[in-house]
Order: sequence, then structure tokens, then C-alpha cells
Amino acid sequence: MKNRRLLAKAFMALCLAIPAGSALAAKDRVTIDLSGEPSSLDPHVQWNPDSYYIYRNIFDNLLTRDDKGDIVPQIATSWKYLSDTQIQFQLRDDVTFHDGKKLTADDVVYSVKRITDPKFASPQLGQFDKITDAVANDAKTVTLTTNGAYPALLAQLVKLSIVPKHVVEAVGKDAFNLKPVGSGPYKFEAWQRGVSVTLARNDAYWGRKGAFPTAVFRAIPDAATRTANLQAGASDLAANLDGDLAQQLKNSPRAKPVPVLTERVAYLAMNVQKEPLNDPKVRQAIAYAIDKQAITDGVLGGYEKPALEMLTPAHEGWVDGIKDHPFDLAKAKALLAEAGPKARQEISLVTAPVYDQRVVQALQQMLNEAGLKVKIDMTDMAQWLRRMQSGPDSIPQMAFSRWSCGCQDADGVLFPILHSSSGWANAKDKTIDDALDGARQTLDKSKRLAFYKTVHERIASENYIIPLYQAAVIYGAAKNLEWTPTPNESIFLNRMGWKD
Amino acid sequence: MQGFLVRRLGQALITILGVATLIFFVQRLTGDPTYLLVPETATQADIDALRHALGFDRPLIEQFGGFLADLARFDLGQSVVQRVPVSTIIASRLPYTLMLAAGALVVAIGIGVPVGVVLALFRDGPIAKLAAGFVLAAQSMPTFWSGILMIMIFAVTLGWLPPSSTGGFSHLIMPSIALGLLSMATFARITRASLLDELSKDYVRTARSRGVRTPRLLVRHVARNAAIPVITVAALEISNLLAGAVIVETVFAWPGIGQVTVQAILARDFLIVQGVVLLGAFVTVLLNLLSDILYSVVDPRIVLERAR
Repeated sequence: MKNRRLLAKAFMALCLAIPAGSALAAKDRVTIDLSGEPSSLDPHVQWNPDSYYIYRNIFDNLLTRDDKGDIVPQIATSWKYLSDTQIQFQLRDDVTFHDGKKLTADDVVYSVKRITDPKFASPQLGQFDKITDAVANDAKTVTLTTNGAYPALLAQLVKLSIVPKHVVEAVGKDAFNLKPVGSGPYKFEAWQRGVSVTLARNDAYWGRKGAFPTAVFRAIPDAATRTANLQAGASDLAANLDGDLAQQLKNSPRAKPVPVLTERVAYLAMNVQKEPLNDPKVRQAIAYAIDKQAITDGVLGGYEKPALEMLTPAHEGWVDGIKDHPFDLAKAKALLAEAGPKARQEISLVTAPVYDQRVVQALQQMLNEAGLKVKIDMTDMAQWLRRMQSGPDSIPQMAFSRWSCGCQDADGVLFPILHSSSGWANAKDKTIDDALDGARQTLDKSKRLAFYKTVHERIASENYIIPLYQAAVIYGAAKNLEWTPTPNESIFLNRMGWKD
Repeated sequence: MQGFLVRRLGQALITILGVATLIFFVQRLTGDPTYLLVPETATQADIDALRHALGFDRPLIEQFGGFLADLARFDLGQSVVQRVPVSTIIASRLPYTLMLAAGALVVAIGIGVPVGVVLALFRDGPIAKLAAGFVLAAQSMPTFWSGILMIMIFAVTLGWLPPSSTGGFSHLIMPSIALGLLSMATFARITRASLLDELSKDYVRTARSRGVRTPRLLVRHVARNAAIPVITVAALEISNLLAGAVIVETVFAWPGIGQVTVQAILARDFLIVQGVVLLGAFVTVLLNLLSDILYSVVDPRIVLERAR
């Protein structure tokens, strides 16, 4: 009996020893739980949150966005337009890569040419393919040439990481992906496949240095487990929680929810060439039938914000004071009665499992209550993407979608969704096409804004799409972690710290 | 024996070739991963360019030929999402799957067999009813729920165990229990059935009449005979466990084969899925072959030449 008790005590001590040990090390190390492991750490390959959350700490860009969302210098100290199609950047000369070699204009040119080389097959190519040339004028000066005026260039360059030419050329792209070398505030240390990526602070960093000597990004696929990790003190930051889990964290002594409104807008997409949605009255009825506030507050827990237009205040091109159709079920019913029996034909609402099905079902219910006959059609994400950008003849009648260009510029949102040249678009509206073309061809901010105002107003009057809400991301953070998340969904380690 | 081996190896090769063909074409039927790789703002031209660069625009038969040629060199190709050799990805995940399978098996047998003995010995008594209730409850709890419940109790509230991920032995405890409890019921039931069967046999009655007490009877006489069906079930359970325990691996962030396979299927990362399926086929074929050979070693009455 005595022996058994001793054994039990020893076992308990063993178990207790583990969390206690990790708590001691907590101040030196920040642990961040993501929903998956990175697809790649080569910043020119994949652009998805689980990858860029990590590699944006390893690499610098020409430009970055500060916590307010303004575009500010990073490797470039200043820039000027030589013409509508040429822009010249002055570079810092105190930047070194993690292997000690200096970052020069050659590395910038190499990086631009690498990601825009069709043979390299970067999935990100479409964001940079307006850049036709990059030239190093001297060690500190680079000139980029674009194919026509390209007002969103600076916004896109925020995402173009500078890689060291000498390393990539020496080791090749596969080895570089496994062991990336950058110039950023954190150095790559280890990648334990499927488990975690460990970064170490770059003590020689030219800019603001990180507060933590070590940072560990772990792959924790289940959101409930990420929440439990925070509550148990096993992690300091977790990405991608939902409203229910945030509620759970509110009662935790150790952690808190940290929500932020992003640049992502959720909307109801329609094929306005297909019956019955080709009838403006039916579309207006749909706009009246949707109670956006009920979706954000009732379904999603109040972290999201109803949207009046397809952009957010974080976007260049956002216009204040656009009027949408307020929720009015009686008006919706009346309009559908006017539209006649054809409004009663079945409409399929296409969706994929990645989207919040509670929202999709709420939309279905609201529309059916107004008198439509909406049926949910579930498919997988790859099929969804293929069908949604297949042109007016085959785009599904209706879909729930969320859009972010990751660039905080109207051109990356409105052009692909509405311009007739895009596979996603089906409105075929000349006013919109002209305005979008006009906004693309000028660098003058006020002129661009006027063009986009036309587009927003046209969307609001014609209801080609129904903007629903500005999406939030909900992070969970340890109570002693100090960090302000931004709309562009980045986790910059050198902008975080411990509260004393 | 030699003729048998040659014939079986030939069959194994055909089986694997069949699996390779099936998985290749079934996956391609669902489309390609290009749309999932590009950002929303990509134009059709960008998408076509990437599809071309990845080789998904080539005729299917040509892609299949390339795949078979690579396979003949034991090259499983490269993940289109991660751009890392598939063999590297599988090799990094396999040890975790083996660890979890071993842990779960220890739990399943360690609890299942004793419970089965209790069920057989105290049939219809209150203890057996309690044990049967326990078995039923353990089997009925879905792992996504029991897993998170265990995390909340043992990691968050009590702080005894780490909530998730890998590390030392302590990280293996909860996932092993969550997974092991499911197969525990099978072991308990089989143990009970085979024990009852043995206990009703003549040699047991003879032993009892000689005054042999129950514990000694169980250990010395019955255990060996009753163990044969249990071992057969264990072999089946091992192959089940190795196939991956997707839900347990997801809840506990355990980086096993199941988790990576599901992620690859969702991302249409064909080459990883192909690699995992082929590995599974290979292991199954190999185990079958080995067990056939082992039968003849263990039981000389089985002659392989005649086995078809």
C-alpha cells in the first residue's frame, strides 16, 4: 500500500514537472499556435497565412505597413516616380543577411526577377506580373518598370520579400525553402516537420529588434486545442479562433481574445446574367431581405461589422457614406411579388466547407423567408474556385464568398470581382468597366477615389453583389503579451512584447 | 516454397500496380490543385501558366507514364504545395504514427484484456455489469469530444499533462488513451468470448476437479489457448492504427500520417496522397506475405506449396 502511494506521488511529480519547466522558460520564448504548418518558407512560393505569418519575420521587403496601415519604408528609404511606369527606390546600406553578407540592389533586382519569372511558377506571380523590368542603377538604387501605370504597385511590394541572391543561387530553390536565409528581425533555426518552426532573434537587425530570443510557431489544427493551449499556459498566441472560443477565453485567468477587423469582406455573389437574378427587382429584394446586423451579431458573436461597400476603411479606394439597402422584409416581399412567379424558381447557393456554414444557412433562411427558393449546394474548395471564376455562362447563380487581395487596395478587390475581363465577373456593366480602367491608369489618388465612388454607387443601386460584412480574425493571446493585430493579418514578432 | 514466393511476389507487384493506377486516376478525376494555389486576384492567364509549369496540363496518359517511371525508381515525386520530396514528408511523419499506434495498443490491450477476463469470470455479476458499462461508454464517446474533454481536465484544470503537440513521453499519454479506448472494447469482447469458450472445455473441468484454483488455472492452462484469437485481433488492430487516426491526431496536434493525408487531400496535393496510399498498399501486401510464411513456420501442418 505504502509502495503504491509512493508510486502515485512519483507519477504526479513527473507529470507536474513538465508544465512547470516550460513556464520557467516562458520569458525567453514566445510560442505561437497556427492552424497548420507552413506550406513553404521560401517567401516567393506560397502566400498563405500559415506560411507568411512565419517567413515575414525572416525577410524584409522594400516597403511595409505600420500598425496604422500606412505604407512606410523598410529596405527602401525613399522612392520617386520617374514617369507613370517607372519608379526609383533608394535603399538602406546598413542591412545584412543572416549569413553576414550585405543586402544590395542586386538582391532586390534578383528577388523581383525571381518571383516574376514564369518558369519559377510562383503562385504569387499574378500580384507582380505588371512589373516588366528591374534594374540596379548602383548598389543603393533600384528602378522598377511596370506595364502601364500601376497605382497598386506600392501596396503589392509590401508583400515582396527580398531574398539573398548569393544563397539562393548557391543552394538552389529546394534547399532554400528548407533553410531560408533572410535579413529580417528573426533568423530561421529549425523546422520540425508537422510540429513546429523555430526562429531565433537576429541581434544584428538594423531596425526594431524583437523582444523574445526565441519564437516557436506550432501547427495545431484544432481551434479548440489552440484555445486549450492558451488556457493551460502552453502557448502565448493563437491564430484563427471563432466567436464561441473567444467567449471561452474571456473567462480564462491566463488568456484573452484579441479580435481585429481585417481587410477581408464577405459578400453574396450572384450571376446576374442568369434567371431570376437578371431581374434588378429580384436583386433589390435580396438586398432588402438580408439582415446584416443579425448575421454579425446573432450568428458570428459581434466581432464582425456590417459592410456598406465591398471595401473596408483599411483600403485605398474606400469611400465614406455609401448607402446600402437597409433590412426591410416587407419591401423585399413586395418586390418579389412584383417580379412575379419566375422569382420562385430554385436558386442554388454554392458553398464550400471552408466557409462558415452558419452564415450560409442564415442567408438561405433570410432569402427564403422573403419568398425566394434558395437551395444550398455544397462542393469542395477547388471546385468552388474553378466554378466561381469560369465566366458569366457557368458561374453559379449564387455563392457566399469572402475576398481579400492582401494589398488593401481597391484594384485588388473590385477589378477581379466586377471588371468584364475577369473570370469572376459577370455584371457586364460598362460604367463599372470604364471606372475600373480609369482608376487603374492614373496615379492621382483623388481621381482614383472618384472612379471607385462611381463603382461603389453602381453596386449599391444595381446590387450585382451584396456586401455583407467586414470579417474579423480572432486571435487569442496570453494576458501578459502585448500586441496590436492589424487588418492585413500579419504577425510581426518585433512589434510584440511582454507586459511586466 | 520457392515457387510459392515467386508467385506471391508477382501477385504483390500486380496489386501495387493496381492501387497505383486507381489512386492516380481517381484523384485526377476531381480536377487539379492549381486554383487552390493561386491567390484570388490571379487572372486566367496566371492560372494557366502555373498549371503548365506544374505539368497538370499534359495529357493524363503522359502524366501517368511519368508517374510510373518515377515509381519504378522509387521516386514518389515532390509535393506541389510544399515543394518538398514526398518521401521526406512521409518519413518525417511515420515515426509519430508508429509511436501513437504503439501507445494506443498498450492502452487497448492493457485495459481491454483484464476487463475481458473480468467479464468472463464474473459473468452476470454486478462487477461484470459495471465493466460492460465502462466498455460501452468508452467506445461510445467520439474522440473529438473525449479528447478535448481530457485536455480540459488534465491539462487546463489540473495542469498534469501537456495539452497537445509532441515532446516527451507525457505528450503521448492523452492521445494514446483517446485512441486506445476505442479499440479497448474489441479486445475486451474477444477476450471474454475466447475465455468463456476455453473455460467450458474438458481440460478445464479436469483441472478444476483436481482442485486447481482459478488464478493458477487461468495463468497456467487457459491463457495460452485463449490468446490466439486475441493475437489475431491485435494484428488487425495494428493495421487499423497505422492507417492513421485522423481525429485524434487533429485534436492533439499529433503530426502523424493521418493528419498529413487529410490536409493533402483537401489541398489536392496529389503526390502526397499517392505516396501514402502506395505505402499503405505496400505494408499490407508485405504483412500478408509475412503472415503466410509465418503460418507455415508456426504450424508445420500448413504447407505453402498447396496454399493458393
